[in-house]
Amino acid sequence: MLDRSVTRIVFEGLSPEGELLFYVLATLSIGVFFAGLAIKLRKYLRGRREDRIGSWRGFLAGALRGLGAAAANTTVRKRDPFAGLFHAAVMWGFVVLFIGTAILTIDTDIVGIVAPQYHFFWGAFYVVYSFVLDALGVVMIVGLAAMAYRRARMKKPQLDYGRVDLAEASTDRRGFLRGDRLFLGWLLVLGVTGYIVEGVRIAQDDFPWFEVFAPVGYVLGRAFAALGVGGGTAPELRLALWWGHALLALGFVAYIPFSKAFHMLGDPVNLALRSPLAGRRLPVLPAVAPADGHLGLRDLADFSWKQLLDFDSCTKCGRCHVACPAAASGAPLSPRDLVLDLRQQADAAWAVLAPGHERRSDRAYGNGRTGGQVAGGLIGPRTLWSCTTCLACVEACPVGIEHVPAIVGMRRSLIDQGELEPMLQTALTNLAKQGNSFGQSGRTRAKWTEGLATPVTDARREPVDWLWFVGDFASFDARVQGATRLVARVFQDAALDFGILHEGERNAGNDVRRVGEEGLFEMLAEHNIGQLSKATFRRVVTTDPHTLNTMRFEYPALGGDWSVWHYSELLIWLFREGRLRTERPLGRRVTYHDPCYLARYSKVTQAPREVLEAIGAELVEMPRNRANTFCCGAGGGRIWMDDSMLRERPSEQRVREAAALEGVTDFVTACPKDLTMYSAAVKATGLEGRLVVRDLIELVAVATGLAIDEPEPGPESPAAAAAAAGATAG
Amino acid sequence: MELAVLLKQVPDLAEELEIDASGTDLEREWMTLVTNEFDDYALEEALQLRDEAGGSVTCLALDTGSADELLATCLAKGADRAIKVGSFERQPDSHTAARAFATALGRVPHDLVLTGVQAIDDLDGQVGPLVAAELDLPHVSVVTHIAIGPGGRAATVNQEYAGGVVAELEVDLPAVLGVQTSRVTPRYAPVSRVRQLMKTAEMGHVEAPTDGGSGLVVEAMALPQTGAGAEMLGGGADAVADRLVAILRERGLLKA
Repeated sequence: MLDRSVTRIVFEGLSPEGELLFYVLATLSIGVFFAGLAIKLRKYLRGRREDRIGSWRGFLAGALRGLGAAAANTTVRKRDPFAGLFHAAVMWGFVVLFIGTAILTIDTDIVGIVAPQYHFFWGAFYVVYSFVLDALGVVMIVGLAAMAYRRARMKKPQLDYGRVDLAEASTDRRGFLRGDRLFLGWLLVLGVTGYIVEGVRIAQDDFPWFEVFAPVGYVLGRAFAALGVGGGTAPELRLALWWGHALLALGFVAYIPFSKAFHMLGDPVNLALRSPLAGRRLPVLPAVAPADGHLGLRDLADFSWKQLLDFDSCTKCGRCHVACPAAASGAPLSPRDLVLDLRQQADAAWAVLAPGHERRSDRAYGNGRTGGQVAGGLIGPRTLWSCTTCLACVEACPVGIEHVPAIVGMRRSLIDQGELEPMLQTALTNLAKQGNSFGQSGRTRAKWTEGLATPVTDARREPVDWLWFVGDFASFDARVQGATRLVARVFQDAALDFGILHEGERNAGNDVRRVGEEGLFEMLAEHNIGQLSKATFRRVVTTDPHTLNTMRFEYPALGGDWSVWHYSELLIWLFREGRLRTERPLGRRVTYHDPCYLARYSKVTQAPREVLEAIGAELVEMPRNRANTFCCGAGGGRIWMDDSMLRERPSEQRVREAAALEGVTDFVTACPKDLTMYSAAVKATGLEGRLVVRDLIELVAVATGLAIDEPEPGPESPAAAAAAAGATAG
Repeated sequence: MELAVLLKQVPDLAEELEIDASGTDLEREWMTLVTNEFDDYALEEALQLRDEAGGSVTCLALDTGSADELLATCLAKGADRAIKVGSFERQPDSHTAARAFATALGRVPHDLVLTGVQAIDDLDGQVGPLVAAELDLPHVSVVTHIAIGPGGRAATVNQEYAGGVVAELEVDLPAVLGVQTSRVTPRYAPVSRVRQLMKTAEMGHVEAPTDGGSGLVVEAMALPQTGAGAEMLGGGADAVADRLVAILRERGLLKA
């Protein structure tokens, strides 16, 4: 039954001239497509060289992971299941239809000519082929319709192209919208015309029985037949429809490299090249400085080929834009616009054919800086200094763009140009001279230990099991010092063999590096590695997630390779070992704020939650938690800069988020900077009677019986009464 | 315009200062040194003037063992040349320093010599005037807003007096100026550059006499005695007044 008659005739009704014309146009379209790719490749070849391969084994594993993520749409689905589902529908619909067309081309133009006896487009193959393509066509069209609905009706803030750094009047991004609509609409028309061509064909062929395996076409054919199209009528209509569909398809192929459609090719590659250490381990300054000796990413030519590919990969999905704490607090930075500005600049400066509808917009072309320098020019100093390096953009990006290393690279140039605010300059000078940003004598670093009944071992003199790297804020900040002493007491209570470097320790340099002060980072890291190398210990522990990041991911490259733990990881281990015991379960509702450098950089989210469980706290999650946490605004050196120009500090937005949780009294965190930031934010928002900011250790100390619990806040509590009295007196 | 800047380092006040065993000097063994703030202003003014009028900036520091870092920082900020002067075990008194600098300046072309108006570790503000005297050049101290006149023959400078009165002075060049502050915050020297320059930069060296002698001898140095602390009087005006009267009475300063 499924014999050679079960097929359809390719190019049926087309004259030999018509067929020739089709092949000429197809060749032209494919030529334009490859020319477009060549132009893109030439652009990447202009980028600075960067080794993205390292070891082949690691590279292949990473590439497979990236391609797997692209195939499964995991990064698109993350936190947006609607977009994830329908994007996958469009993508797989398109991919299968494309493969189908490719198979037909192989059968017709290769097998049919070279070895006609192997011609396979008939019988069972034809039936299955018809069915699969018919089904996936529907999947694609449904996906496109849902995405069109999402854009038109769902009012997603991430799809608002408004800029945070430019007045609306000076921004014209209607071209972006036209480009988006053209892309989506083109695919939709392609899909729909495909079905119409099929339906008309089936109707005119008088409904061969096996065409029921193309159900959509079959039903459409019936509808057309009812309208009088069928049998031998209107062969011109069929031809015209066929040509319409063919021209749309050939045009689309040519359009791909010059449009948003490029992401179909570029983004799987970009995901495959994604570095798992992006932002976590920043690149060292290039060994070969440019001819004029400038440092950092100052000009377009300083960006690497991978960064140029990053910029081209952006689909303007806006997930980074809505995740960014700078953009959310009114700072003139949006990771999306930074990437788009750089892309437009690269395309304009190097006369690359830019994606249609993206030319001539915004500041990239508007302020006469085209062709000038990028860091401090096209991307202004205030924009670059706004970044908290919280990594939310990199984490949210579905296509593997690495914003933070690019921003830090440009900051290196700002430091080189001396474009930094006086407060930051003072902090860096203090760090260079005294090893801390507080301007305190480095010799007083361990002064916080003075209040302890049991002194803390000097790890430079005695071998210890655990080397506790205390960090700047834990050592010098008055609010944090209390928590630091509690850490010491809890460790002592658990009979932990630990010691500190005392005045031998200096700032670990994580945020110094992210400010862009690479030389100072090297100086601090070399000093600390020198001190640590002289001490005898098995593992390092720190309360500071920033220190944790640089010691875990960056020190090894500088010769300091140790096993580094966050204290939350050590605490839960001590609980499990029975060395810490909950004497008085906390029994109240708390929320936990994931520090960016703990949750996103080091991916530690479970340990602090387990500690809270171990001490009998009832954890209520904030809407944004774990890897989706929201920054306090202090990272990347922001804590050394003025934040008074912000509309609403990220930390204030965050405590409001926590205050909306019913019955939650404690805002718990596990980062010294968070403790200071959120303590200030609770005061600034007037939530003092509602929330108390606590370090994890403060609750552990209470639960293990080491410290006396402070009264809970609340309308009737003494704490609130005292706060109210203070407010009246003040 | 050939600009020369005279600089030195002073103790970092972040440290707790200690007196050494002799009781006449600071304990310098572990001391952290920073560039004298006013010298930093002088350098910034020099760099600004060079960027306006062209020419070059030469930085001079007495070679006391730590001059390399100081001068590398100057170069990192954009100075054109760095010269170490003489050879000293420690920072000498102002007369000796001025004589050494004057000797060095005899071999360094200069249209304008800038130095910080004073330093926190001697507070005599003498180096500028003494250098000027040695070189027989005009001198103005405590200046701001330096502007080079046409042809580079003279400069106008501001001196700010008490009560906010500002005088504008014109001084013939070459001259020596003691700088009070710079028009902008002194620029930052990226540590990458400083470190690179400490390894690679070629610094000049000029021999200079190491004796000059101010005729002054430090007989003793001491930290201020810490008092027992202050009692803060709080509450309403009446309560404060009552407590005040009570205290005065306790001390026998009030009768009846």
